[in-house]
Amino acid sequence: MENLVEIKNLKKYFSTPRGELHAVDNVTLNIEKGKTIGIVGESGCGKSTLGKTLMRLYNPTSGEILYNGEDIANMPTKKFKKNYRSSIQMIFQDPYASLDPRMSVLQLIEEPIKVNKKGLSKAEATVKAKEMMDLVGLAARLEGSYPHELDGGRRQRIGIARALSLDPDFIVCDEPVSALDVSIQAQILNLLQDLQKERNLTYMFITHDMSVVKHISDDIAVMYLGRLIEKCPANEIFKNTIHPYSQALLSAIPIPNVHVKKERMILKGELTSPIDPKPCCRFAARCPYTMNECMEKEPELRELKPNHFVACHCAEQFVK
Amino acid sequence: MAKIKTPAMEKIEKKNAKRKKPVKSTPARESWKRFKRNPTALIGLAVVCVLILIAVFAPLIAPYGYKTQDYSAMMQAPSSTHWFGTDQFGRDIFSRVIYGTRYSLIIALFCTIAAFFSGGLLGIIAGYCGGKVDTVIMRIMDVFQSIPMIMMAMCIVAVLGNGIPQLVAAIMFASMPTMARNNRAAILRVRGSDYIESSEAIGVNQFQMIVKHMIPNAVGVMVIYFVGFLAVSIMMMSSMSYIGVGLAAPTPEWGLILNDGKAYLTSAPYMMLFPALMIMVTCFAFNLMGDGLRDAFDPRLK
Amino acid sequence: MSENILKVENLVIHYETDEEVVEAVNNISFEIKKGEVLGLVGETGAGKTTTALGIMGLLPDKVGHVIQGKIELAGENLFEKTAREMRKIRGKKVSMIFQDPMTALNPVKTIGDQISEVVLLHNHCSKAEALKRAQEMLAMVGIVPERYKDYPHQFSGGMKQRIIIAIALACEPELLIADEPTTALDVTIQAQILDMMRSLQSKHGTSMILITHDLGVVAEMCDHCAVMYAGELVEYGTVEEVFDHPKHPYTKALYQSIPSLDKDVERLHVVPGMVTDPSNLPSYCSFADRCDEKGEGCKMEDPEMICLSEDHCVKCLKYAKENITKEWKEK
Repeated sequence: MENLVEIKNLKKYFSTPRGELHAVDNVTLNIEKGKTIGIVGESGCGKSTLGKTLMRLYNPTSGEILYNGEDIANMPTKKFKKNYRSSIQMIFQDPYASLDPRMSVLQLIEEPIKVNKKGLSKAEATVKAKEMMDLVGLAARLEGSYPHELDGGRRQRIGIARALSLDPDFIVCDEPVSALDVSIQAQILNLLQDLQKERNLTYMFITHDMSVVKHISDDIAVMYLGRLIEKCPANEIFKNTIHPYSQALLSAIPIPNVHVKKERMILKGELTSPIDPKPCCRFAARCPYTMNECMEKEPELRELKPNHFVACHCAEQFVK
Repeated sequence: MAKIKTPAMEKIEKKNAKRKKPVKSTPARESWKRFKRNPTALIGLAVVCVLILIAVFAPLIAPYGYKTQDYSAMMQAPSSTHWFGTDQFGRDIFSRVIYGTRYSLIIALFCTIAAFFSGGLLGIIAGYCGGKVDTVIMRIMDVFQSIPMIMMAMCIVAVLGNGIPQLVAAIMFASMPTMARNNRAAILRVRGSDYIESSEAIGVNQFQMIVKHMIPNAVGVMVIYFVGFLAVSIMMMSSMSYIGVGLAAPTPEWGLILNDGKAYLTSAPYMMLFPALMIMVTCFAFNLMGDGLRDAFDPRLK
Repeated sequence: MSENILKVENLVIHYETDEEVVEAVNNISFEIKKGEVLGLVGETGAGKTTTALGIMGLLPDKVGHVIQGKIELAGENLFEKTAREMRKIRGKKVSMIFQDPMTALNPVKTIGDQISEVVLLHNHCSKAEALKRAQEMLAMVGIVPERYKDYPHQFSGGMKQRIIIAIALACEPELLIADEPTTALDVTIQAQILDMMRSLQSKHGTSMILITHDLGVVAEMCDHCAVMYAGELVEYGTVEEVFDHPKHPYTKALYQSIPSLDKDVERLHVVPGMVTDPSNLPSYCSFADRCDEKGEGCKMEDPEMICLSEDHCVKCLKYAKENITKEWKEK
């Protein structure tokens, strides 16, 4: 399977008055065409920043992003917008804040078409927008409605229609179902899967919800404080969890089964600061298995099993 | 339909039965609905409308001209022929106050527009661009803010004399910093929204972003500042005329009328009372309206 | 046989505005025994928070109205209390924790002051004694007691929620209502907080209502589970009964919509249609329009709560006595 996106040593730092905030730190990742990669992690891990940097909503500090072989990270913004804006799109997290409240549903879906496809006339753009509405399951009578009249599920469908209207190949989904009720979440996840099959889309699915990510992803990458700490096929993460943080994350999830008494791995302390971090393992301060090496050197991402990468000095003890 | 029928439900059903067809629910319409439900806001709006009518129909309402002097009726207390009394030149105070409405409202409008297009625009640019541009513009505004308004007005008048353009200029320079700051805040609030990021993601360019997304959404807040500023300009205008650096006599501006009555405060208090009341009522009305607008636009009160 | 700490009977709460009347809570009844944890589950708009606010007497002034019902806390009818009496009860007999820890603390007061405040309000003691109690509470929730002079902004989200729990438990209330206490927190922090809440709850014997939309949290923390939909209790029972043998179609659908960590499914089961509009509820079963197990009578009458056993009650016509014996005619 060929790779659509190859991320190499990507860094995104933000300058703050207190120092450099390492939001994304040296991430290397490949994304196969037509597949879904799930990016998991808790708040502050850098997953959203990673997605937005791929979209060039942020300009990378260093590193490469090869899209179909061409480096889009260091490309001039104008060239990127001209050639790749339509191919790489995003679905946003908050369906309540990511839609301009002054525009109607039809106007919101027409906007990307009108802004990008200069070849289409106004009438043609409207026709395409209506097609999109149908595709994502929005009733035609909602054309003139405004976002504040609609519920979260419908608003998120508008977001999906906006992203799809440019016929992209790659979509970054930034926590698209986190703000939705469980029953609506199921509808949206099914919709995303159907669209992927029909249009051969590639997804980067960013979330903190492990059960959602398992359902929708082919591969999973776990992030912690800006670094990629584990990457493997979706099933592997649950059957053969290696990195201690991944273990803690999985053990923390409450299971809706009364008879399973979980052995919980409680992490001590809180997140360490992402500002000018010391050159040691970022997780060392909270890890129950910390050794001397962990406090002195940052672990590299190593392939411990076929297609299963982990960044941990003492990972061998967890490999089954 | 409902599970239990209550009297409140019946009341609403009756109300809905009277309504003909369902109206489109745009955000603007929702804001107007919220505004209508606020009694103090409606009072403010009503008073402002009355003032505008007074200003427009001043010649029809005022029984005398604002300059007409009647030497046989000087320093008269309020009576049936002179409702607000007369001043030391025999001029009918009621007529002067009525004509004064024109000056106050129109000059206030000019001042606010001038301040908006100078300070306000700079604030929008500062808010949108951020970074060095923002810093430079706001520091220049700080410099302006450090000069007391009265002093600035006195300098302008000393060089150019009294008059409407000079008054507008003085008020404009004095209020630029506040207008800039307010509009900058309005733009920053919009700029931080997710939908701006979403527009960027679909490839909207900078100009379209400002015109199609930022300004329409920031306009609500800017309107609130605009209306509030009308009240502030009236106060500023009156203050300056009161100390003699505003308009020139015999213009029937409220501050000037107040000034005329200064010497007679103890002997003929009515000379100051009525213009003061007008200033108070007008500012109060604009403030009520402004508060009402703020509540109407604030989505948290939904 | 332990007594009831809370008894809610036939509670109906409406929100009345100029435009519409929202039937937020429709005729719910339940009981909580001393030391028990009840999980109140449902999606947005189900009426869970409104129920909690009703118990606390904190419904919004002009719009929230209790139309009918009785709430008894340790035998006392709360609706007969004056505002002053309710203030004495809040914080002392019943406490509430809200969802967003970021905004629930006063940013200009130290956390020591905020915990002492609730102690001083309900007890006749000196400031020094109240502060000592505050430090005890901080230790109990896992925060270094010396930090009582720190301000809320110096703490992370998880720690703020611990402080809020400390405030809520400072006067040892008999009932604690927790409204989505961990929804805004990361899952590893959630695990810490839930662990702590469970141990505090069992140590002090505090009864608890845990409001959440997360079935996993209910399975872990609760003894009983009540499922709400459109302001009604559609299923109620012990967690074992409700989770192992869900009876109401909505409960079953909720279960199936959640992606599971154990098994793989191609497509998630979806409840068709939209959540019933609480300002326009039907006079028949609220879930009927979306139900895939509905029968002939479902669109004609509103079901009663039927008790299948002592531990399990359902509000569904399918289980009405006359329907259990004959075959359930599905539409």
